[in-house]
Order: sequence, then C-alpha cells, then structure tokens
Amino acid sequence: MSICVRALLHNKRKWKKTLIIFCLLFFVVTLVLSGISIANAEEKKSEELRGTTGSSFVVERNLSTGGWASGSSGSYSTQEFITEEMLQTISAVDGIAGYDVSIVSMPYYFNEAGEPLVNVNGNGVNNYYTYGSINTEYNQLFLSGRFELVEGSHITENIKNGLIISKENAEQNGIKIGDKITGINDPYNDDPEVDMEIVGFFEIVADKEDEATMYDASTLWDYTDYAFCSFNTMKEMAVKYDDGNKIQEAHFYVTDAAQLEDIIKEVQNISSINWDNFIIEANDEVYQNISSSLSDTSTLIITLITVIIIASMVLIILILSMSMRSRKREIGILLAVGITKPSILLQYVIETLMTAVVAFPLAYLFSRRIAGEFGGLFGKAAENIIVTSQYFALVIVAGTVLLIVAVLISCIPVMRYEPKEILAQIE
Amino acid sequence: MSIMELKNIWYGYDSRKKVLKGINLMLEAGKMYAILGPSGCGKTTLLSLMGGLDSPSQGQVFYEGQDIEKEGLSNHRKKNVAFIFQSYNLIDYLTPKENVALTCKLPPGPVLEKVGLTEEESKRNVLKLSGGQQQRVAIARALAADARIILADEPTGNLDEETAEEITRILKECAHQMNKCVVVVTHSNELAKEADEVFRLKKGVLIHGK
Repeated sequence: MSICVRALLHNKRKWKKTLIIFCLLFFVVTLVLSGISIANAEEKKSEELRGTTGSSFVVERNLSTGGWASGSSGSYSTQEFITEEMLQTISAVDGIAGYDVSIVSMPYYFNEAGEPLVNVNGNGVNNYYTYGSINTEYNQLFLSGRFELVEGSHITENIKNGLIISKENAEQNGIKIGDKITGINDPYNDDPEVDMEIVGFFEIVADKEDEATMYDASTLWDYTDYAFCSFNTMKEMAVKYDDGNKIQEAHFYVTDAAQLEDIIKEVQNISSINWDNFIIEANDEVYQNISSSLSDTSTLIITLITVIIIASMVLIILILSMSMRSRKREIGILLAVGITKPSILLQYVIETLMTAVVAFPLAYLFSRRIAGEFGGLFGKAAENIIVTSQYFALVIVAGTVLLIVAVLISCIPVMRYEPKEILAQIE
Repeated sequence: MSIMELKNIWYGYDSRKKVLKGINLMLEAGKMYAILGPSGCGKTTLLSLMGGLDSPSQGQVFYEGQDIEKEGLSNHRKKNVAFIFQSYNLIDYLTPKENVALTCKLPPGPVLEKVGLTEEESKRNVLKLSGGQQQRVAIARALAADARIILADEPTGNLDEETAEEITRILKECAHQMNKCVVVVTHSNELAKEADEVFRLKKGVLIHGK
C-alpha cells in the first residue's frame, strides 16, 4: 500500500481529527491573508501619503553670519538675499516638485472704476494681507488644505500679474474672474499703481461658526481678507522698499516626503551657493505625524500576524503532538512491518498537506470576502483591501514549509524511540 | 540447514543485570518453535532481537548466514520476518484487507480466506472484529509479507480456548505446509505441546525442552 493511499485513508476514516486540522488551517490562513492585505493597503496609503503630504524645506538667510547696518527705519541685516538663480538651481534637484517664495505686504486694490475693494472684516480699513507668490499651489495655506481654490486657477511662474482673493470678498465687491484690478502698496505714500487681473477665488476650509479657525492668530488677520498676487506684481508694488521686494526665504516641496533628508543633503552639496549665508530647515512635521500613526497601525497589524502565526504554529504542533501520541501504536506497527521512519514521517506530512490543499484555497476565497470587514476594524476602507493571488502564493509556500516543520517537530517525541520500545509500551 | 542463527547473544537493560546470557540458537524452516518461560525472563526481548526490533548488547543474529545488523534492521524486518502480537496490533483506520495490504507481497484476499475470514469480514472496521478474527488478520498480514520467519509473541494470550486452538492450528500449517519458520513465545503449555521444538528461558539461559 502506498504512502499516499495510507494518508488518504487516514484522513477519510479519522475525519474528526482531519476536520480539526482543517478548521485550524482555514482560520489561520484566512486571518493571515486578511492581515497581509490590510498591511499592504496600509503600505500603499503610506506611499500615497509620501507623495501627497507636501513635505518641504525652507531656505532662508542666515542672519547670524551676516553683518548688520543702520538705516532710517532702524538696523537691518546685510546678509545676502536669495536670488532667482539660486531658486532655479535648487529646484532642478531631483525629487523637488515645486517651490514658492513669498513677499508679504498689505496693499490696497481698486476696481476698473477706481473704487477700492472693500474687505469683509477690515472694519473700514480696506487693504488685504497679500502674499506675492511665484506659485500659489505651493503656498502653505493651500497645501495644508486650509484654503481651497474654488474658481479660476493658481498663480504660477507664467502668470505675471495675477490676483487671487476670497470668494466672499469677490461677491461683496462684485468681482469676476478676468476683472482688471489696480494694486497700490500704500496710496498715501505715492506708491506706484500696478495693473493686475483676477485669476482665481479661494474659500477657507474651516468651521465658519468657530472664529478661531477663521483667522491667523500670528497676524490677527481674518483669512477672508487674505490675497495672493504674482511675485513680480508684488515686487513692482513694493519697488520703493529696499527689503520689501527681495527674497528672504523660499519653500521647496518634494515629491516623496520620505526622501526629504536625502534631497536636503543633495541641495547642501550645491557648490555655487555659499551655505554659510543660508539655513535649510526641513518641514515634514505633518508627514512625520501621519506616517507615525500609519506606522503604528502597520506595526500593530504585523504584530498581530506574527502572533497569529506563532500561536497557530504552537497550536498545530500541540494538536499534532497529541495526535502522534495517540498514534504511537500505529508507528510501532508500521516500524515492525518494516516501514522506515522517514516513510512514516512522509505519510504524516502528506496527510497534513492533503488537508491544507483543501483548506488553503477555501481560506483564500473566504478571505477575499471578509478581508474588507477585518480592515474596517483598523479604519480601512474595504475597497482598498484586496487579497491577491500573489499573497495566496506566498502563504502557500510559507504555510507548506511551516506545516512540514510542525509535523516534524510533533513527531520528534515518538520517533526518537526504537520500535521495540514503542511496542513494549503498547503491550 | 538453519535459516536463522543466534550466536552468543547477551542483552541487559543496564550493565549489571543481563536478561539474556550468551544465547546460542539455530532455527530451521518448516518447523514451529516454542519458547516458554516466566514473565520478565526475556522471551519477548529474544523475539525482538530475532526480528530486528532491537540490537543485542553482545553477539550476533544471522539470517541465512548474513548478519542482520549489516543488512539493516529495518530491511530485515521488511524482508525476512513477520510479527504476530498478543494484542494483534492492527491499524485501526484500515480494514482487514488494507491491514494485510500494508506488507503487500501477496494479494490480501486469498490470504485472508486462508486464515478463515469471509469477504464481508475483510472489509469491516478491524475494531468491529472479535479477538480471534483480529488475530487471524494479524496472521494473514504476517503471511502476506511472505517472510520466511514468523515471530509470534503470545499469539493466543487474549483468546478463548477454542479460538486459541484454531490459531495454533493455523500457525502449525504455516510451518509445515508453507515451509515457514515459526517462533512462538508463550506461557501456554497447550500451544508449546504443538511445537516441533520447545525451549525454556530460565535466568537468561535457553534450555532445550523437547
């Protein structure tokens, strides 16, 4: 009688034992497949996050290494400013998605009829807290999600005279996309008039019932009265102010938040920039916070999978060991009729694998149905959790190896006896 | 011509107490041998050494002139000897037919028929057979192995008188009609009387009794 026939007859006639092993394997493989797919969904989310979190670094003047001078408006640093060549060189480094530099001022705006644009919360003072920006898409207020462009387009390097104001102020002043606006930094100081055009409107993504979320605590300006104009436009408006139209700091945004440190190192290796005069600071707090939370969930899932695998291995070894002890007589008989120990071991391995051949595919099909439900326990959307055939193949290979090891371990206590010892114990 | 020879066999469970002390024995095909002796005198041990279930502390066992240790004990068990035990030792998840097929040198059907099992009985669960029927299956398994030596350890120990007689008859037939060498370890004088040669194991020494 062949080994396979013996194994098959055992599994068929000792169906209760077979059923216990089957249920255990089915349960474990279902959990492991679900766990792997949840962990993978987590990994994918983390990868997406790396690309979307908007990690950045700031290059700013190092005031501590520059000299100081006195002027009519007090002392000022003589440290060199960031030049546009520097911006081009840095932005050419691989992994940098874009950059923005801003000059902040509080100019006044006038419509085509020469009437001032009234702001909503200015209490009669109709100027706007304005960022002169190269690329508003990379402005922190938009990146962080605090502001959302609801109409028109962002200001980019190609838009030389654009203006973006809040939707609320636009409605208040009857302004539409494409309207011509005149900006003056300080109309009472004979500052130049600069022509510009409305290119977009933003809305504040905040709770309008909660005042704390509607204004900037550091500037005390209501977000509704913020505006964004093209960098060049701002330079023209502030042409009379020495420091007002020069770049003090620039924000560079990377495509993969996880690569931020490497990109910074590469930037610091640019020899054409005297890095004694500038400071680079990483800004990946948002990514670090979110990725730390994701990493915690991933660690939890991986720990759970490991615990499940170890616990089930122990359980399978215990069940098989009990089964082996109850099969001591059979082992003695098989040895007595001249069947070798390796051949007996092989029979037990085949018996377990025969059960696995049924349990694994059923667990695969079942896990495809319930992995999403499990994912819900970890706050994952069911549609992101997919049990793929690759995971199944991985589980088949690893599961088969672990099962063989489990059978061999459980056989050790019985197999180390000589046939006479086993038979003597039975008799 | 002897089929098996035991030369100066010593065996002990520890170095001081020996249960077998220099046993010498020659066994021939076509004969039934009985080994008698009190419990614990080493009868089953002697049978185990003949069957290659264990190795002697000293001495050698030869099968057709070959040292069984050199041939390999597992190989010896598979090719040369077949066991019959007091508690039958059948595999409980196999039918009588499948138990006999385990050794698989002869087809199980005719062998089972020879020991008196019907076709219907040979397909039953072995645990649903009587003791006598189970022992017949064990004998059939030994015969199906087509080994030249059959080693039986108390084969009638668990059976009633009538069934024991029947089993004794079958074992005798194995020796005389099938030219096997049957070695029976027993307490039973009735069984020993039927043997061609009887040995008594006393204080580790084998004494020829008939």
